[in-house]
Amino acid sequence: MSTVRLVGITKHYGATVAVQDFNLQVADGELVTLLGPSGCGKTTTLRTVAGLVEPSAGRIWFDDQDVTDLPPRKRNIGFVFQTPALFPHLSVANNIAFGLSVKGAKKDAIGARVDEMLTMVGLAGYGSRLPAQLSGGQQQRVSLARVLATDPRVLLFDEPLSALDRNLRDTLKYSILDLQRRTRKTAIYVTHDQSEAFAISDRIVVMNAGRAEQIGTQTDIYLHPQTPFVAEFIGANNGLTGTVTGTDGAGDEARMVVAADGLTLRARPRPDVRAGDQVLVYLRPENLVVLPDGDGAEYDNVVDGTIDRVIFEGPTAQLRVDVAGRELRADISGSQRLTLIQRQGKVRLGFNDLTMIPAGAALTSAGSESASAAIANAAPGGTEP
Amino acid sequence: MAPAFERERRSVRITRRCLGGLASHADIWFCLFVCVVPFLALRVYSFTGPGGTSAIENFQYVVGSVGENLFWSIRIAFLSLAIDLAIALPAAYAIVRYPFPGKRFLYSALALPLYVPGAVIGISLVLTFNFTYHLTTSVWGLVLAMTVGTFPLMLTPLIVALKDLPPVFEEAAECLGASRWQTFWRIVFPLIGPGVSAGLMLSFIIVFNEYLVTLFVHPPEVTTAPLRIFNLVRTAGLLPTTAALAVTMQLISFAAVLLFFRVFGTRYLKGTYLI
Repeated sequence: MSTVRLVGITKHYGATVAVQDFNLQVADGELVTLLGPSGCGKTTTLRTVAGLVEPSAGRIWFDDQDVTDLPPRKRNIGFVFQTPALFPHLSVANNIAFGLSVKGAKKDAIGARVDEMLTMVGLAGYGSRLPAQLSGGQQQRVSLARVLATDPRVLLFDEPLSALDRNLRDTLKYSILDLQRRTRKTAIYVTHDQSEAFAISDRIVVMNAGRAEQIGTQTDIYLHPQTPFVAEFIGANNGLTGTVTGTDGAGDEARMVVAADGLTLRARPRPDVRAGDQVLVYLRPENLVVLPDGDGAEYDNVVDGTIDRVIFEGPTAQLRVDVAGRELRADISGSQRLTLIQRQGKVRLGFNDLTMIPAGAALTSAGSESASAAIANAAPGGTEP
Repeated sequence: MAPAFERERRSVRITRRCLGGLASHADIWFCLFVCVVPFLALRVYSFTGPGGTSAIENFQYVVGSVGENLFWSIRIAFLSLAIDLAIALPAAYAIVRYPFPGKRFLYSALALPLYVPGAVIGISLVLTFNFTYHLTTSVWGLVLAMTVGTFPLMLTPLIVALKDLPPVFEEAAECLGASRWQTFWRIVFPLIGPGVSAGLMLSFIIVFNEYLVTLFVHPPEVTTAPLRIFNLVRTAGLLPTTAALAVTMQLISFAAVLLFFRVFGTRYLKGTYLI
């Protein structure tokens, strides 16, 4: 049991900045996910916690012990790698026993612990096999058992499921969550897969270009993105740029009016946004509703457009609608999606929940596709796109 | 018209394939003939020579009269291999796993004995050992000479094997609490086994059969088997007994190769590009 605290972690590789002033506090027994595109610094951050990478600056604390200068073997961590990394010349049992035997544990104690671990990951009776005789999923479960056998203070996962096929990923991610809950270990989990992060995390850190863009729960991050990057990286989003022209209504009904790409939109006011400010506006495709003609009084925003394309995806139908020369995506679910398949021509869309982000909140250049370019810009002073 | 034409083309194709197969078979047999026949001739000659001696007597002679020379060769081979390995293992690990300036230059310098004629090595070693360390009268001078000459052969397969070994195994071991020493001997060393066996094998064959460098640095009381063969041929001509000694050396080399593969194996990883 342990809390983990990262204070001002920075890592340079020559002129390249991999991690920039990263701060995070993980509570005892909490599972925090570092989520971001490849090259965003999430794995580097995790490896500094393990001691496999020495940070250029910053300190790492386990409880009130500063472990920054300790080598990995003295940190008592459990690191699960992207590949199972089982020692190919040792049997499954000897792999699990490795951590205990290098610490000089007694043979009987090791044997009992190995059996306990094998049962825990559902592989009792597999002890005498060689890793090559197991499937990929079984190997990764053995590597979990190997890590848990030493009773580590902190569990660290570096995309442990990315080498597995899709079905296996789905079952194994819940096994990992279940094991983490049962053993009450503090855990940091790195992934680029949003559904994985959303399924297992207590909190998520969205990372981009070496920085933490936003730290919060699944709902925080999905419903209230704080930066353009988070809004665009998490889920699908229609992004517009605009200017606040004024306010209308009062009290709970107050809305800010935004002129964005030829549309006039109304969004809930934010204290940090005033009239005249540049803002970025995001509308989630699933929040857009297809309205009958001439209707829509109950929606903050009603726009008219022309259907470009309807893509039937099974549970949803994706509508590509040309609105004032700009394509908006609407994901329609339920029975309405079936009536839309054949639809063409004009359509009216309504929506309420807009996310409005001040343009100044851009930590890095907006858009996940420019993330690699943003790494180069992330040097001190390069915070604006 | 068309089917006949088709049939003709097919028969041309079949003839071509037969010719190709024939050519490759001929090539293999030719290689076997060139490479193996001399050794067979040697073997036959060692069994029944013109001197009227019988096969068993020839080999009894090997054990009785030149057994000492074979024993010297084996002892020197094992000593220099042990020193080779003890130096090459840490060197290879440092070269592969740690960044340091001048790495390429260092490796080229270490590999130098591979590109230098034996006589040059011999002369330089005589100079060094004689005037600096006064080693020419000790068997250690010979052992060290062999170590110098075969060091690159030991180092290169180790480097190749280590480069092929993903660092994740060492990282996993370290995260599980193993010290560097434990990680090396329990994880790295078994996993680079093929590289170790390749290095030992190449070096053993060179040391065991080396003639030229030995000629320069051997102390008077030490005569290795290759040296003895040469002396015998020079003084008494090619006798069946000498052929028997040569065959014995060949068999020992062959047995050593088999032994190294049994002990270190090629089971776990690739990384032996040299063989």
